[in-house]
Amino acid sequence: MKNRLRELRMVKAWSQSDLADKLGVSRQTVNAVETEKYDPSLPLAFKVARLFKLRIEEIFNDNGKP
Amino acid sequence: MLYIGGMNKNLNVPDQIWVGKKEYSFRVDNKVNGWLCWAALISGASDLVFIRQIAHLPVAWRCLIALAPFLAILLWARNLARWIRGMDELHQRIIMATILFTVSATFFCVLLWQRLDKAGFFQAVFPSSVNPSAVWDIGTVGSVFVLLLVFYIIGHFIFNRRYK
Repeated sequence: MKNRLRELRMVKAWSQSDLADKLGVSRQTVNAVETEKYDPSLPLAFKVARLFKLRIEEIFNDNGKP
Repeated sequence: MLYIGGMNKNLNVPDQIWVGKKEYSFRVDNKVNGWLCWAALISGASDLVFIRQIAHLPVAWRCLIALAPFLAILLWARNLARWIRGMDELHQRIIMATILFTVSATFFCVLLWQRLDKAGFFQAVFPSSVNPSAVWDIGTVGSVFVLLLVFYIIGHFIFNRRYK
């Protein structure tokens, strides 16, 4: 799943560790999501969306897969 | 406020029980795997008792001695589950995949070894002095412990690398 997490994090000038702290996950998780090796759970996706004050579909894009 | 600053400082990570890693913690390792070591020790001790021929004891006593390690194994499983619950979702996924691989591979090896032993494979292939089934009793907790450890290392390497 494509996502804009890295781009949004860069805008805020946060490191991966900063973002991990804010989301309550490990830095490895943030890195895995950013590199699209891991799709976050729905609760984590909601946390990310609330943190950046965006809707989930504005951050994560599954290219219209059913 | 959405989050608590420094929240993930308290997260459990698989490297906490990986000797040699930066995050390794003897305290955590002991908390998670302490009962497994006790299970291996109790199993070894009860096997020694059995070697000294205690067939004259009532069956209830013999069963008690034989099953003593299982209480420690149950306590180990409880501590392991608690440790996993303290991880974030990615590490939970990695560790669950690792444990599934570890248990399946160990189960497979024990069954394979016993089936080959029953079929007389080891007696046919190896001379009696180096017969592996005579040297290594795979049915003991200690042997299973060694297999679990080996397959955990392999499994963790495979599944952790996927998300690096």
